[in-house]
Amino acid sequence: MRFPRYPAALLMALWLTGCAAQDTTQPSLYSRLGGMDTIEAVVENMLYRVADDPNVVVFFANTNIDHFADAFATQLCDISDGPCQYKGPPMDRAHQHMGINDAHFNRVVEYLTDALGEEGVPLAAQNELLGRLAPLHADVMRRQ
Amino acid sequence: MLAPFPPALGKGIAALAITHALLISGTAFAGSRIIGTGGVSAIEGAAGGGLSPWAVLTSTASEQEFGATASLSRAWLDDYRLTVKAASANLYDRVEVSVARQTLDLVTLGGELEQTIVGGKVRLFGDVLYNPWGIWSAGFQHKRVADDSIPKALGAQDGQGNDVYLSASKLVFGAVAGRNLLLNATLRNTEANQGGLLGFGGDNDGRQWVAEGSLGVFVTPQWVVGMEYRQKPDLLGAAEEDDWQSVYSAYFFNKHVSLTTAWLSLGNIAGLASQDGAYVSLQAAF
Repeated sequence: MRFPRYPAALLMALWLTGCAAQDTTQPSLYSRLGGMDTIEAVVENMLYRVADDPNVVVFFANTNIDHFADAFATQLCDISDGPCQYKGPPMDRAHQHMGINDAHFNRVVEYLTDALGEEGVPLAAQNELLGRLAPLHADVMRRQ
Repeated sequence: MLAPFPPALGKGIAALAITHALLISGTAFAGSRIIGTGGVSAIEGAAGGGLSPWAVLTSTASEQEFGATASLSRAWLDDYRLTVKAASANLYDRVEVSVARQTLDLVTLGGELEQTIVGGKVRLFGDVLYNPWGIWSAGFQHKRVADDSIPKALGAQDGQGNDVYLSASKLVFGAVAGRNLLLNATLRNTEANQGGLLGFGGDNDGRQWVAEGSLGVFVTPQWVVGMEYRQKPDLLGAAEEDDWQSVYSAYFFNKHVSLTTAWLSLGNIAGLASQDGAYVSLQAAF
């Protein structure tokens, strides 16, 4: 079998860029997101998008939106290594028996992604934040 | 064919009109899965990268949703031209069914080879984004050549055959310079020669497991570039067969329209060595 040329070249390129990206003095994700001001702007931006979607906004019918916005911003600050500690309920209990399916979950992910983009969060920070939030899918879906 | 107005042109115009409408329509009626997570149309009809199927199911349909795609692909190799027309459907992000018609014009040798592929894929578990183990799917492809005279002249035993495969895909967030990295691996059990265009089985060896893999970097959420590798059996003594590889770029204009371009390196095909060439594929998704 011939040695595959392209994969070897790409793996080498990935490895090199990976090394270049590993800056030991890289600031925290929290500061790369833009700190609390940006996080609060992102949450507000996202909630306006949610409010415009009748399929998703129903889940917030019995929710105090101001309270939710504070709690979600604190959670994003916490998960991005910012100076906050999320003290709200765990994700499985917070969403239990709401009838949330993957379609609802995906829509909210899109609204969050769109909000992050519109508030000027760099793509690398967006991706890292989404990567940290992705495991919450299992928690949110556990008690549906 | 030198007809004054070939039917293919009419179909092409219709496809362009639909594509244009979809480009304008934005996200109306789109499935709820994140853009790009349905891959594009592989040359055998399944959702994948181009050469190889991926574990993700076609379109962006999620649970409780239905999706469908249609695609037109063409590769211009040194001595051949491959055209693929394919369609696929996604039921509740659980089951994918697909059909593809491949036509290989033997530009240098003369004539053409044609096969039809009917495929199915079931998502076993997981999700390409959210599950730490990614998404795992199993699939089959039933392939039948239109005319088995050339394949049998080269030593193939059958004009039809079946592939089964197990596939896993996973997106790794921020893996390459802050960009998301898509990884795919597929294990396929096959006795197809050149994917089936040269028939099934041969005088060298029999049915076997082959490995296929790809990776892609999402430069932006709508644009992925990467490469694929597809190991192949080598069953025909009269026509040596090589592994396939490609470097590709897929751009998702929105959830409805994607354009894939690639450079293929397909090695020896039916006695003609080092077949390289460009590949273009346009997919419309509903």
